[in-house]
Formats: sequence, structure tokens, C-alpha cells
Amino acid sequence: MIYLSQLLGNPVLDADGEKVGTVSDLGIATGEVFPRITSLAFMGPGRTPIMISWRKYVDTYNESEVHLKVVATDLRFSYLQPDEVLLARDILNKQIVDTHGMRVVRVNDLKLSDTSSTQLRLLGAEVGARGLLRSLHPALERVALRVCRTFGHPLPEKIIAWSYMDLVERDLSNVKLSVSHKTLDDMHPADIADIIERLDPRLRGQVFAQLDDEQRAGAMAEFDDDAMAAELMDTMNETDASRILSEMDPDDAAELVSELDYDKAEKLLRLMGVQEQRAIRQLLGYRENTAGRIMTSEVATVAEDATVADTVEMLRGLDEDFESVRYVYLVDEERKLTGVVTLNALIVATPETRLAELATADLVTAGPEDDQEDVAEDIAKYNLLAMPVVNDEGRLLGIVTVDDALDVLEEEHAEDLRVAGGSADGEDSGHASTLIWLVRRNVWVVLWALGVVALALAVGGHLTLAETLTIAIPLAVALVLADDSISYVTNFFLENDPDDEDSPSMLGFTFKGVGMGVALAVLLALIVVALMNVIMSPAVPTAGLFEGSLGDSLVTGGFAAAASIFVSFALTPIYLVVLRARDEANKETSGFTLSVVAMVVAVAVFTGAAIALAGPGGMVGSGF
Amino acid sequence: MPQDEKNARTRLEPRRILAAMGPGMVAALAGADAGGVATYSNAGALFGFMQLWTVPVMCFLLIVAQETAARMGCVTGKGLASLIREQFGVRLSALAMAALLVSNTTVTLSEFAGIASALALFDVPVYVSVPVAALAIWLLTMSGSYRRIEKVLLAVACVFVTYIVAGVMVGPDWGDALLHTMVPHVEATPRYLSLLVASVGTAIAPWMLFLAQSNVVEKNAHAEDLPYQRVDTVTGAVAASVISWFIILTTGAVLHPAGVVVNGAEEAATALAPLVGDYAELLFGAGLTGASFLAACVLPGITSSAICEAFGWERGADRSWAEAPVYRGIITAVIAVSALVVMLPDVNLFGIMMVAQVINGVLLPVILVFMVLIASDKHVMGRFANGRGWNALTWFTIAAVTILTVIMFLMQGMGV
Repeated sequence: MIYLSQLLGNPVLDADGEKVGTVSDLGIATGEVFPRITSLAFMGPGRTPIMISWRKYVDTYNESEVHLKVVATDLRFSYLQPDEVLLARDILNKQIVDTHGMRVVRVNDLKLSDTSSTQLRLLGAEVGARGLLRSLHPALERVALRVCRTFGHPLPEKIIAWSYMDLVERDLSNVKLSVSHKTLDDMHPADIADIIERLDPRLRGQVFAQLDDEQRAGAMAEFDDDAMAAELMDTMNETDASRILSEMDPDDAAELVSELDYDKAEKLLRLMGVQEQRAIRQLLGYRENTAGRIMTSEVATVAEDATVADTVEMLRGLDEDFESVRYVYLVDEERKLTGVVTLNALIVATPETRLAELATADLVTAGPEDDQEDVAEDIAKYNLLAMPVVNDEGRLLGIVTVDDALDVLEEEHAEDLRVAGGSADGEDSGHASTLIWLVRRNVWVVLWALGVVALALAVGGHLTLAETLTIAIPLAVALVLADDSISYVTNFFLENDPDDEDSPSMLGFTFKGVGMGVALAVLLALIVVALMNVIMSPAVPTAGLFEGSLGDSLVTGGFAAAASIFVSFALTPIYLVVLRARDEANKETSGFTLSVVAMVVAVAVFTGAAIALAGPGGMVGSGF
Repeated sequence: MPQDEKNARTRLEPRRILAAMGPGMVAALAGADAGGVATYSNAGALFGFMQLWTVPVMCFLLIVAQETAARMGCVTGKGLASLIREQFGVRLSALAMAALLVSNTTVTLSEFAGIASALALFDVPVYVSVPVAALAIWLLTMSGSYRRIEKVLLAVACVFVTYIVAGVMVGPDWGDALLHTMVPHVEATPRYLSLLVASVGTAIAPWMLFLAQSNVVEKNAHAEDLPYQRVDTVTGAVAASVISWFIILTTGAVLHPAGVVVNGAEEAATALAPLVGDYAELLFGAGLTGASFLAACVLPGITSSAICEAFGWERGADRSWAEAPVYRGIITAVIAVSALVVMLPDVNLFGIMMVAQVINGVLLPVILVFMVLIASDKHVMGRFANGRGWNALTWFTIAAVTILTVIMFLMQGMGV
């Protein structure tokens, strides 16, 4: 086993033992699973780069030198062939895609076959720590190996075979690769999208350009980040971009087009075929987040009097990239939807059967302006694979497929989580987010401290520190309840849809909110008064510690907190209105921000009330 | 080609200029961070107007270095670390990354020292301010959400603009100040030389080069966007230089005649006293906290990102610990080490800030050598390779800083 790092820089000696240069690179023939080394590049005298055939001239080689078969004067130079790749120039230190592990990695070293045979082959690229250490110094690798073995953790090599390498920076599309060579083109579009997202912006464009249209269209639809997809569209020339749009499903294409700026979008649409263009424009005519926007117009429809044989014939004639068919829809002459037949029913039935006999006329449909979330929920509820979208006259416009419905649910779920005060992206696990979560849950402590400071500044003149602090004790309860009032709002928001008829009315919500505010406020006031009486009573041994004005302070704080709690809950309808208005405008709202706002309001009300109660002539000090 | 460029320049669109603005300004204002304020205040306090001449020189050299970095990003679409690795292989990139790691860790250290000494003005003990700041910075960098508060911090850091007003109000001898700006003056004392090296390290910090290039790469700016990037580079550098010129001017006019030696944030703040009187410490403290906090949020991320880029490890704030352990590990380590050193008992916070800038200055040539070699390589840069003038200036900077450093160490070694 020998590594490229051990060969580079070695002296090249001719048959007489004269040094003719130092090894600078090796060329490989790309058409094999383990490519042969075909040429040797070395730096000749005066730093002239020279390339010769490996097979013809190299006699022996090892970690310290390369011996040639002939004398320097007999060497015939060769040139790099189009299907040859230079290891040091094109692969070493470069970013490549490991199409097996589906990652972007940097090549630290290249592993070559045994030195004993004359045929040298490339075994693969080393992308792990051992390659790095070896390139730094071979001794480092040995030391690390020994240390790791002592601790019982073997340090394996991470080798990527040539057949799983995709050289993203060098376009190999015009090089004939071995049959087993797995490039980006052979991967699933979703995986390609994942990998492209991890590259630098410039490389994204280059890699994207190497894919074929179908893969590009597929990957384009799979990007999580719509803005990034739009940026990629910008890097392509217009004919390419419009071709990709035509290739994509109309609903995905419409989503992408809506991300582009108007001029660009118009230009691309105009370059497309009439039919695809019409499909996309039709979808774009519907508002965002409606069934119309996410439906596809590629629907398998047949006339009412068709037989099973007709239908199968029609399905055979569909385009290759037609949206996969789960149901066949029956329409009359005016394209009004009259029934649906599942693919199963179609397969089981005899060819002569009329479709009308198999069809279910009892259909669940959606209107194009329906909210996408409702449609997705209905698809889940009725266990459908696709839901037809019909206009007011009952004419079939398209279908919403289950995969789009799943995307919608995922999106809405993330939004709901944010409103509920959770983390936006579920994957972001780890210590940092746990800490952030804890911090978010306990923000009331910070606000409590702020409240104490505010109170001290406001009444500090005529109250002692002990009195101020005692007043502030019930503020903690007021803050926690203010936080809860927001949970109350967000829960109501998530569970009830304003358009839904059976959801409780705004008035009811307001009444409930105010009622809860009154009840909780009275409860707290009573508890505080009772508490004060208990600790002040001679039966409790701590009475001595809590004498005089401190009891009054506690009551003042309790009343102020009660006022604050009442206000917190009385304001809940306003928060709900804000939340719904923002949702209507498609703006994201974080439940955390709402909580903070509610708590700041609570602190302000509390401070105001406490000042009013404890100020000159107030309760404290005047003998309650 | 020069014709092309001229045409492009006459047709600069205002909207695109605004879009390109940003990184230069961040670098400029974060340049007025703890280390910057310490260095310039010291320069003014110790030598009056005698170091004013360095400001235009540094400004020019900063433009040269930043322009080169931005141009490399535009042309290659790759980060500086990536280019170093691909052109020089593992060994030399390990050297470059080690230099970057040391230099950035010391700068982060000085930012923490800045936060600690600024908050000490408000009587917040180091044992409280540093852990809280470290935790906040760690959370912000890890979640990648510091960008949300970037603007707030920038606004706070703008407090240093008050140095300009203060400088005018002090009523210095303008003729004298201008004369010293134009005419270089060199004193052969270790103190003067180390301040000079520190000034270079502050003005042209290695992290700024990495930041400038990675910003360009992130935006996917192309060669035709170069004129816009140049506008950003020049405005940023000029803004930074104006601020530093006024800091030296103000401290030179107020502290130097009074014989005040800047040993802590309080002394540095007193330079603002003529302007805002009793509020000087409050204003200075807020500005120093904002600028230092901003830089401390940016630095660990840049460092870790560059190292991971060079060695091909996963990076980015959207990667979890399991996906990018090294990236997150380096950030955590840089923050932890910096915070712990600052909390050592009896450390001289202002001393740390100064030493950090000297280390930065000493390590700058290492990074600059890599940069100039790549930037002048026609295989990489094509027709955008460095011209002779740019090359000469960069090599001049490298040589000057190296010679200054050697003399400085020799003099210190001989105990002059």
C-alpha cells in the first residue's frame, strides 16, 4: 500500500541513476472501477513540467524514489488525454461528493495499490483524520494509531472508492466513466438537493449545471430553502431555467416562480411551452396557501361512458413525467366531476366493465380557495391519496396529492410549534437548544428582577429595601400567570379556526378570559391576605420576623399582583386578534415574543398599582 | 480590460452599492473594539499626536488587503481557508490555521477583557460579567441567531462616533495634528515599536480578511460585482480610520498633556469627559461593550468556519453537534478559553487587550504571505490576479511588520 502523499516530491531517476526531476502528479484512466495510473508528471530541470507514460517508462517505485526504464534522452513526452484525471491537481485537497455516504468531503490523501506489482492502481480517496495526520507527517499518524489502539479505539481509514467519487469541481460529464461509477446524476433528487445545500454558493451553480434536466427539476423541487432555489435559477441562463420549469410538476414550478422577481418570472414563463405555461399561470392565479396553489393540473380523467379497457389505454398513453396516477376521475362533457375510480378497482375489473359501474359518486372535494391546511387535514381524515379540486360549478380543476399535503402539514406544524413557544426546527437538538429552551421558559425571572428595580426606583424614596422586596414577592406569581395567559391564547388559537362555525365565538373567549382574570385575581388576593394573617398570628413562631409594615407590604404586593393578573387575562382577546391578523397576513409569530410582551405589560401594571397603593397616603406605613 | 472597468464604474447602480455594503462596515466598527480602543487611546496618551501618521498608512494598507480578499472571493467563489488548502496542501494550511486560531483566540480574549473592563465601570465584577457574556455569546453563535442582534450591536458601537465630536470640542491644534498626520515620526523605543505593531494588528486583523472573503462568497458575488465590493471596502476602511484618527486625536489632546497613562477603561473614558462630562464613563462603557460584544460574537464563528473549511469538516450554525462536532467544539473551546483567562485572578485587563493586538500584528504577515501568493497566481485568479503595485504593497506590509516585530523583540530581549 502506498499513498500519493508518499510519492509526491520523490526524485525520479533514469536508467543511469541520474535524477531527472521530482514527482509532481499522477494521471489515471477514468474508465475503470480501480483506475490504472497511466501517466507520471514530474518537475524537470528548471521547473519545467513534464508528463510521460507510466506503463512505458516506469520500472520500479517506492516511498523514496521512482526508477525509469530508460535514460533521460530516450523519454518521449505525452499529453493529458481527455479521459485522464490528475490526482494531485484534480482530487487531492479538493472537495468531492461521496455519493455512497452522501456527504461533501475534502480529500486528505489518495490510497494507491501495492508497490509489489508494476501496475499501480487508485484504490480510493482518504477523507479521514489519518490522511490529514499522514500529510502533516507520517510519524504523527503512527503515534495517533498507537495511542488510539492503547485506548481500544482503532482509528480506521475512511476511504472513498473512485466509483463513488463525484468531482464536483471538474466537469466529468464528457468523460466516459465505468458503468459502476455512481455520480450525482444517479442519486435521488432529494439527496442531491441535500448535498447541493451544503456546498458554497458558487459551487452549487457549477454542480447544478452538470446534472441533466430531469435531475435538476427534481432537485429544484426538493430544496428546503426556496430563496436558495430562486438564487440557483438566477445563475442559469433563461432557456435552461425555463426548460427546468417545464420539467417540474406545475405546483412545484408555481411555488418556485412565485419566489422569483416579476420580470425574471415573466421572461421564463414566456419561454415555456403553451400548455405548461398555462398550467403554471393558472395556479399562480390563486392566493398563496390555498388548495389552488398546491394542486396539480395533471389529472387522469375519462368520459363517463368509458370502459376499463379505454381507461387503461388512456393511462398507457400518458407522458412519462405525468404526476403518478392514484385515481381516475370521471367527468361529463362540461368537465364536471361525476365520480372517481381507484386504481385497484380498475385492475381487478374486467376490461369491458363500464367505469360508471365502478365509480364512487360520493366524493370529498375541495374548492381552489380553500385553505391548504384544511385540505391536508381532510386528506388525512378521509385516508385519501389525492383530493380533487373543483370550482363552484363542480368543474374539475386539479388534484392535491398526498405528498404535497404532507409538506403542508409539516410546514404548519413548524409554524404552530413556533406559536406555542417551541423551537422552530425540530432537528436543532443538542445542548445549545436545551439551554435556550430553559432560558425561554424562565424569562419571568429576568422580568421579575426588572420589576424589582423599577419598583425600587419608583418608590425607593420612602420605602425600605425590605418593604420593596416584600411587595415584589407576589409579582412572581403575576408574571407566571401572564405567561400562562399567553399559553391560553395560543392554545385557543391552535385549536380553533376563526372560519369554523362550531368554534367558540370571540365574545365567549373574551368573557372566559375576563372571568378567569377576575377569579385568579381574587384568589391571589385572598391567599395573600390569608397568608399574611397566618404569619402574623401569634401561633406561628416566625411572627417576630415578619412584623410591622412588612405584612402591609405583602398585602400591597398581593393587590397589585391581582390587578396585574386581571389585566393580563383581560388583554387576551387583543392578543388573539393580533395573532389571527398576523396569521391571515402569513407572518410568523413567535409565542415567546408574545409571552415577553405580556410579561412586560404585567410588570408595568404591577408597578403602577403598587405605587398607587404604597405611595404617600397609601397602605404601607399608614397602618392597615 | 481597463476600458471595461471604467465603463462599469460609470454605471454603478446605487441599489447595488447598498446591497454590497455591509461587511466592510462591520469590520470597520468591530475594529473599534476593545483592542482598537485600547491601542489608539494608549497611542494618544503616550505619544500625543506622534502616531497620527500611522492612520492614513494603515487605512491604505487595509484597503489593499481587504480588496485583495474580496477580489479572491469574487473570482474563485471560495473562502480564503479553502484556497490556502487547495493551493498549499495540508502542512502549510495547518500552519496558516494555527496562526489564525492563535490570533483569533487572543482577539476574542481581548474582547472579553473589553467587556469585563467596560462593565467594571458600572461596578459589575469580572466573575459576573464574563460568565454571563460568555454564555450569551456561546448561545448566539451556536444558534446562529447573532445576526438578528447584529444591527443593535452596530448601533451601540456607533457610540464611538462621539470621539469625533469630542475631538472637535477639545479644540486641538489642528495644524499640528495635520502636520503629524502627514509627516511620519519614528521613535526607536520598544514601547513605541510595540504600539506600532499593535496598531497594524488592530487595523488589519487576520480575521477581517477571512470575514471579508467569506461574506463575498456567501453572497455569491461575481467578478462583475467587483466595483461594488471595492466601494464597500473603501468606505469601511475610511470609516474605521476616521474613528481611530479621532480617538488618537482626542486622547492625544486630553490625556497626553495631563500625563495620564491609560491603564484601564476609566482613564480611557476620561478622554470623552470634555464632551459629555459626567456621562463619559457611561457612554464609553456602553460603546466598548457593544463593539466588543459584536466582535466576540463574530470571531469564534469565523475561526471555526475557516478551520473546518480548510480540513473539510462540516460547518455552519445549522448543523447539530452530531453533524459538526469539530465546528461546534472549536467555537466552544475558543469562548471557554478566552473567558477563563480573563477571569484569572489579578489579570491586567487593559494589558491583555494590548498584548492581543501585538500578537495579531506578529501573526498578520503569515496570513498575508498566503494571501499574496494566491492572489498573484494567474492559474487561480485569471485576469484578476494581483498587479505589480498591489503585490509590492502587500509585500511591503509583510516586510515592514516583520522587521518591526524583530526589532521590537530584539529591543525587549536586550532590555532597552
